[in-house]
Amino acid sequence: MYWLERHQLDNLVKKLTESYELFGPRRDKVSNEVIFDRLANPLELDLEAPIPYNPPKYILFPHYEEILRYRYDRQSKQVAIEKLSHLKPKALVGLRSCDLTGILCLDRFFLGQEFVDEVYLEHRKKLFLISNTCVRPFPQCFCVCTDSGPSAKEGFDLDLTRVGDRYLVEVGSKKGQNLVEELGLKEAGEEAAELKKKVVDESVSSFDAFALENKAWISRATNRLTTGFIKPEVWEYIGNQCFECGACSFVCPTCSCFNVEDVNRLDGTTDRIRTWDSCSFEGYTKMAGDHNPRKPVEDRRNKRFFCKLSYSQSKKYLRPGCVGCGRCARVCPGDIGLPNVVTYIRREITGD
Amino acid sequence: MPYERAVCNFCGTGCGHLLQVEEGRVRGVYPLPGHPLSQGRLCVRGWHIHELLQTEERITSAFIRENGELRLVLLEQAISYTAERFRKLGGEEVAFLASPRASNEDNYLFGKFARAVVKSNNLSLSSDAGQEESAKVLLAGGGWPAATGSLSKLKQADFILVAGGDLTKQNPIIASEIHRARRAGALVVTVSPRKTQMARLSQVHLRPVPGTFSLVFEGLTRILYEEKKFQADYLEKCTENFEAFFKKLEQVDLGEVVARTGLSLEILTEVARKFYESKLTYAFYPTGVQSLDRKTMSALFNLMLFAGKLGQGAGGIIPVTGISNLLGSYDLGLSPVFLPGYLDASEEKNVKKLEELWQTPLSRKPGQSVSACLAENKSLRALVVVDHDEEIIRNVNRIKELELVVYFGAYHNNFASLAQVIIPRPSYAEAEGTYTNAERRVQLNRKKVDPPSEVRPLWKNLTELARALGHDWKYHTAEEIFSEIAKVVPQYSGLTYAQLDSHLGLKWPCDEKHPQGTDYLMLDEAGNKFRFVLDENVRPQPQALAEQKADFPFKLTVGRSNYFWHQNSLMKRTFIPKREYNALLLLYPKGFVEISEEDARRLQLREKQLVRIISESAEMILAVRISPDVLPGQLYVPYFIEDMIPEFLLRQVAELEKNEEFFLPVRLEKAG
Ligand code: SF4
Ligand code: SF4
Ligand code: SF4
Repeated sequence: MYWLERHQLDNLVKKLTESYELFGPRRDKVSNEVIFDRLANPLELDLEAPIPYNPPKYILFPHYEEILRYRYDRQSKQVAIEKLSHLKPKALVGLRSCDLTGILCLDRFFLGQEFVDEVYLEHRKKLFLISNTCVRPFPQCFCVCTDSGPSAKEGFDLDLTRVGDRYLVEVGSKKGQNLVEELGLKEAGEEAAELKKKVVDESVSSFDAFALENKAWISRATNRLTTGFIKPEVWEYIGNQCFECGACSFVCPTCSCFNVEDVNRLDGTTDRIRTWDSCSFEGYTKMAGDHNPRKPVEDRRNKRFFCKLSYSQSKKYLRPGCVGCGRCARVCPGDIGLPNVVTYIRREITGD
Repeated sequence: MPYERAVCNFCGTGCGHLLQVEEGRVRGVYPLPGHPLSQGRLCVRGWHIHELLQTEERITSAFIRENGELRLVLLEQAISYTAERFRKLGGEEVAFLASPRASNEDNYLFGKFARAVVKSNNLSLSSDAGQEESAKVLLAGGGWPAATGSLSKLKQADFILVAGGDLTKQNPIIASEIHRARRAGALVVTVSPRKTQMARLSQVHLRPVPGTFSLVFEGLTRILYEEKKFQADYLEKCTENFEAFFKKLEQVDLGEVVARTGLSLEILTEVARKFYESKLTYAFYPTGVQSLDRKTMSALFNLMLFAGKLGQGAGGIIPVTGISNLLGSYDLGLSPVFLPGYLDASEEKNVKKLEELWQTPLSRKPGQSVSACLAENKSLRALVVVDHDEEIIRNVNRIKELELVVYFGAYHNNFASLAQVIIPRPSYAEAEGTYTNAERRVQLNRKKVDPPSEVRPLWKNLTELARALGHDWKYHTAEEIFSEIAKVVPQYSGLTYAQLDSHLGLKWPCDEKHPQGTDYLMLDEAGNKFRFVLDENVRPQPQALAEQKADFPFKLTVGRSNYFWHQNSLMKRTFIPKREYNALLLLYPKGFVEISEEDARRLQLREKQLVRIISESAEMILAVRISPDVLPGQLYVPYFIEDMIPEFLLRQVAELEKNEEFFLPVRLEKAG
């Protein structure tokens, strides 16, 4: 491990901006909220800011993206296809470990299955990832229950952990190693690993005091979901509260549902567009037969939590689909973010 | 920084969002967590507004119709052509249909153009009368035409009454606030014939027979009166006409209320008591489409006033505007009855004052709404329309007779196909402007991306047009117009762009007395006196008189659902909301009618079976959808797109959509 002094942070960022577009957490001045954003001005990077409201998912898997363009020539009956990719390399600095884990989940979905998603791969291979240990959790967090934090274990090029007023830097890749050497960072010596462990342990033990919003009971809920022993009334109660907005999927670092549309353009070409989608929408699952108009909504809700927490799903992704970021709880108009649902399930188990 | 702060332009909730701007296009949207009302939530529409903002299916240049064909022209040509035609038209020969989605700046100049340049007072929004009636009732009762309570304090509420519509579909994030308040302990009581999602999220659901809404509120008031649950000294001190109201109350017969509404006295009494005992009390109703009628709004206002729920704290009445800038449009006087700032258009001193401010003589001839003009005004020769959401256009034949139709719009629609002149409009992300949401919050949207080259703001084109017609208008920026608005509209007098830029909106009245805006109405704002709204002169609704005939045993009501919003004229330019609409259309390609399980059983109807719905004047065929959401004896038809609105509804729709109170007596037969 290495030491990064405060003043060296600027060098690090400067170095990165030579070859990458810079992304990281910044604060919006008027609303004071944290957004993981492209930073035109590197000074906006705020590594101390709480977990951003948006995950970095959109950088690899944009909300709306033209994935190819084609033109059909009537005369020759030929289709000319043009790939629409002119992506710049990007550096994501200050990733919270839940969000880094989210990227690893997306990797598994887009790259780890039978077919490799070329569009995603194109985005993914040009990234430089720097994670940032949460030395203290934020109110909404429960990553300790989902094995995704507060410190990153894998997937980063560099990982930062704040110790006093400097950072311990752990190297996770060759790219990372090169950068560390270019910057001439000082080696941190033997005691570094111990020091980092201490910081992380302290953070973990402070969850009880600081991460108050979402006391998740993930493992018990996982059991229940997997065995299906959840009363229909609980799903009904949950389903009634769903406004079908899709937000829970859109803000989730691991949700990867998408929709593909072909749009004819005025110049005669057609764009194939990929957009975010959500299992909360009727049209996504095309559930037929709607005797009770709310029933399909319940089923769709049920499906999402199954996807996030059931054992069979975890086996596919080698981890739970939830990384404990708490975002779906904040954006849900119905108050049925994942942690709340887990609470309902807990109540059902404990009967209180 | 590609994520930039803005305000959703779909409904009157006015949620804060972040637009992801890349290379001059809006590529994505994300909720703005710090927004005081939406607090990081968006509904399905808001989550897909970037799909609409990227569509190429829009109008990007001006057109003039020649020999029946639209010809592409330069913007300047369209302006000078229009000015030329206007020179030959007299004031009231022209009617102006404004857009509740346009910014305050655009709308203000549109009204000023009508009144000061063309000298016509025929100026209105589309046919929905709910917002105007609501403003009139609230003005009559408290001198304050919009939300009297504060949504910011809703979470502390202990009683919330939701009357009519389905806020979970119309203004989902306001419904979400109500839901949160419930989770924090409030009692939510919904009054609606249908079991809407709002009703499912309420502890108490009162389902009165359609047409008896006002009786519910009169009944509740009468119960309080009988149980002496009111403070006589407060009423004496703070209301002007309580004696007249007491007399009226004495005529309310609870037996009749029970018989006609179909609600039991026990449940009404229980609700009345809980209502009275609550400390922070709110009442919500939608305005615009599917609003309440005037009588019901008055009854609700009187109930709140009688129980002492007005003017004493953050609670109050919240009329919920269905479209982004519906409230702002009325604030700026886009109505035949109100001048900017809700000044009575029929009062000479108000017109004089406006003449002084505008430095030009104005017409004294009373204006009419556009729909009234089209229906009644034989001398109408021209129509000017701004972005019209509704696919259904009434009086099409009358419009075809007009000499001139000018359409300022972003998208092609039926008005565009009737127009002689088309002038493009930018999206809200392509221009500066302020918008006023249901809680009176005036919010500034800065320009995010450039419009196409031939597209510029409405106010700019109106300025050119006014200049061509000999008026020396000198507006160069939206901000200049806003500072003029601050001079003309008293409620906006303390607002500036600089101030709005550094806040996430401010709630009017924002003036010398309230430099930071005003959260809710206190008694002193109402001049220390409220008035019961007695509405003696209100014509009884024809409905109330109509006897339910035995031949037509069902009461048919209509409504709209989540994605089928404003006939989808905007939604159909998106992907996900459009697909969601298609999902239901696949199941019911010809539309559907909802019927209760009991009636379906009795008439031996199956799911998706075709039935004929017959009214006194027309009939239509629809598929059956058996639903727990409607009561026996009632039918519900959601109408959303043109293809799904057979002639049948089109003829009735103007009446039906006015408010929840209207229903159509029909009978139902198996088809084929
Ligand atoms: S399910 Fe919710 S808490 Fe879990 S990772 Fe997704 S957004 Fe975060
Ligand atoms: S965020 Fe909540 S309301 Fe929206 S789709 Fe998800 S569960 Fe439903
Ligand atoms: S509730 Fe209204 S303002 Fe808010 S996101 Fe939905 S459409 Fe937009």
